[in-house]
Amino acid sequence: MTSAYPECLPDRRLEADRRLKGLIVRHYLEAHRAKGLVGRRPVVWVTSGAPVEILLALGFLPVYPENYGALCASRKRAVPYCEEAERAGFSQDLCAYARANLGSMLLGRGELAGRPLPPPDLLVACKNICAVVVKWWEVTARHFGCPVYIVDTPFAVDGLTPEQVAYVKAQLEDLVTFASRAVRRRPPRRPAFERRLLGVLELSRQAVSLWNDIQALRRVSPTPVSALDMFTNLFPIVTLRGTRACVDYYRTVRDELEARVREGVAAVPGERYRLIWDNIAVWYDFDLVRYLHARGAAFVGETYTDAWGAYDPSDTDESDPLGSLARMYSLILLNVGLPTRRERLFRMVREQRATGVVFHSCRSCKTYSLGQYELAREVREELGLPTLVIEADMADPRAFAAGPTRTRIDAFVELLAAQPLGV
Amino acid sequence: MVSQGKLDAAMVPEDKPEAAIAERHLARLRAARPSGGPALGYVCSYVPEEIPLAAGLHPIRLGARPGVTGLADGVLQSFACAFARALLDDLLGGSAEGLSAVVFAYTCDSLRAVFEIWRNRAPSGSRVHFLNLPCRLTGPGVREYTASEFRRLAEALSHLPGARAVTPERLAGASAALAAFDGVVRRLDDLRRRRPDLLPGSAFLAVSREALSLERETAVQLLDALAREIEMAAAQPPPSRPDRVRVVVSGGFLETEHVLRLIEESGAHVVGDDLCLGGRGRAGAGSLSGRGAPAGPVGSGPSERGGADSEDEAFLVLADRYLGRVNCPCKHPPEGRFEAVERLAAESGADGVVFLLQKFCDPHAFDFPDLRRRLESSGRPVLLLEVERGVVPEGQARTRLEAFIERLRGVRA
Repeated sequence: MTSAYPECLPDRRLEADRRLKGLIVRHYLEAHRAKGLVGRRPVVWVTSGAPVEILLALGFLPVYPENYGALCASRKRAVPYCEEAERAGFSQDLCAYARANLGSMLLGRGELAGRPLPPPDLLVACKNICAVVVKWWEVTARHFGCPVYIVDTPFAVDGLTPEQVAYVKAQLEDLVTFASRAVRRRPPRRPAFERRLLGVLELSRQAVSLWNDIQALRRVSPTPVSALDMFTNLFPIVTLRGTRACVDYYRTVRDELEARVREGVAAVPGERYRLIWDNIAVWYDFDLVRYLHARGAAFVGETYTDAWGAYDPSDTDESDPLGSLARMYSLILLNVGLPTRRERLFRMVREQRATGVVFHSCRSCKTYSLGQYELAREVREELGLPTLVIEADMADPRAFAAGPTRTRIDAFVELLAAQPLGV
Repeated sequence: MVSQGKLDAAMVPEDKPEAAIAERHLARLRAARPSGGPALGYVCSYVPEEIPLAAGLHPIRLGARPGVTGLADGVLQSFACAFARALLDDLLGGSAEGLSAVVFAYTCDSLRAVFEIWRNRAPSGSRVHFLNLPCRLTGPGVREYTASEFRRLAEALSHLPGARAVTPERLAGASAALAAFDGVVRRLDDLRRRRPDLLPGSAFLAVSREALSLERETAVQLLDALAREIEMAAAQPPPSRPDRVRVVVSGGFLETEHVLRLIEESGAHVVGDDLCLGGRGRAGAGSLSGRGAPAGPVGSGPSERGGADSEDEAFLVLADRYLGRVNCPCKHPPEGRFEAVERLAAESGADGVVFLLQKFCDPHAFDFPDLRRRLESSGRPVLLLEVERGVVPEGQARTRLEAFIERLRGVRA
């Protein structure tokens, strides 16, 4: 397919990418193998905001349908699965990750060497990223006849009340028992379980710490890494968080980026503009980002990738790890109020020395997108930076028009060029 | 074109003059004005009216109007539902002026955004409260957490100008007033089911909506008068209309009766509903029973857990009531509503079910395929109409409705 963009800067991808591909393949192979006769390990389907450390400590192998949706989309293969879900009666207006997964599930085939995700033994969704996952997981539970657990994290409007924390913590305690019984295991003894949990949390802490180090390396000019590498490098922090493999991988990435910084290697040669990306990637159209790269615009931060920096269990109270997890998982980016999102965005703009913000208004993701116009206005009025709103979808290209987007990018770059702050 | 402002002759051309009863009473409801006391606007049927009533505030359900929007379009993307858009548009246009406060409840991602944007944009001095309800209806801590949110709402409202403290006694009084209101709505719902020739489904929804804007005592009197007149008329046998099929409708918030009138004009009686502002949202009306059914009036006597004499217990009983009502699709687990819709269709003697899907409404859209399968497997055909701003494209919808009703006649034969 020819690109809708006249010029796209070729990627200067990380060496670590080759290792990343191996991690992805191994993860899904292991997930399918877990369902085999030998070495059986229960498979749990989780949302990206689920308290996965609990499930790892219980011996589950977590797989992430959202990641699978992104995988389908980045191969430009989401549409046939979406269409299958639509044939079954699911509206085209529903989340494209959900439709791609439901379609693949209904067809019984998919993008993992022709296979869909391995069938779940348990489904766990955490409402902290959106209300859609609750409904999506309900549909999946009915399809497989599989037990489902919804972790309900009330919206942290202006922080958390003690009652909210108590409510979420009660569910996490219940989840330990529910998940064990779902796979016909005896619930673990509390002290032994908490010891295992603290071990997993330590691995999560190390991975998140490295992830935040990587983000901090992007403060220099020129930035050693832009959005495309960061989007693809999300896989381990989302999917393998709490494992040794995740920590080892990010150590490699950090080392490579430190070397780039030392040697002055730019992700975007001739970097002139430093941008922040808000919302999920447009997985099927990375040329959109490459087109900006070709105009000297590098991404020095993404609210999307930065969100995983908040899954930081550093403050875990070892005498009450579930209470600490209840707080942490309630305060992630999409579960906090707009004033907190604004504060985090503004901080990122200042720390990363950004000169403009690109908002991806993602049709599939209402939690992330609705309210963006307010944020964009505040960026313009309070920070005096130009903004660009791109109307698209993270996985369904039918909701995206590259031509008009290119025109808007051109106009945005003109605004960037007129900025006195231009680097 | 079906008019949206009144129950016109087109609504019930073949069932006149009996159905004109509802039209006369609707005019009376519209002419009645609420008292001049402090009013509270609220969004979502999970906001317990018991609390503002106990605080001495007149609760007004903020809905959305049909028609175009302008102000909201600059701050809300096109993929937010028309309900959210119109609600925000009205708020930005000044609909909250004169209200003591606006109460939002956690419902879905779009309405959460409307709350956020409104809070960001509201003129200084505006009061807005977010009732941070759980999405779960069962499980550890859900009851206590819900009660804590109700208590927080009660405390917030009691500090509003002209309001008073919410006590168990006042909650009991409010609960009794609402039970009386629900009782008369249930009578009307039953009449709609038994004699849709006298009380068409569109008229039932119209009078229910109007009554919600009135003081509950006034509304009870006016609805009781309507119920009595229809009960008298119902002493006469209904006209023999074997070609009229019976349908129930299911969906979210319906801004107008437009679609129900189209269904009726196409040859069906609307004999029951699972709508936010109708059977489900009224929580107590008809087969989709809720308020008053699982628990008694708040604070009025012993509950399973030993009475609601204390404030804590009063809020826990209120939590039980709302957690136990027929659930909105935004709530988990979904089975209660699935079963309630199946039961409603069966008890109403419905030949089929029409789903009125608010475009961009995720919770309803996710439930639809499985709910359709369940209904169809029990022999009830299903039709899906996508609704936006309370209306459907009329010509296309009429054709589909006529074909669907023809199919229902075939199934019945």
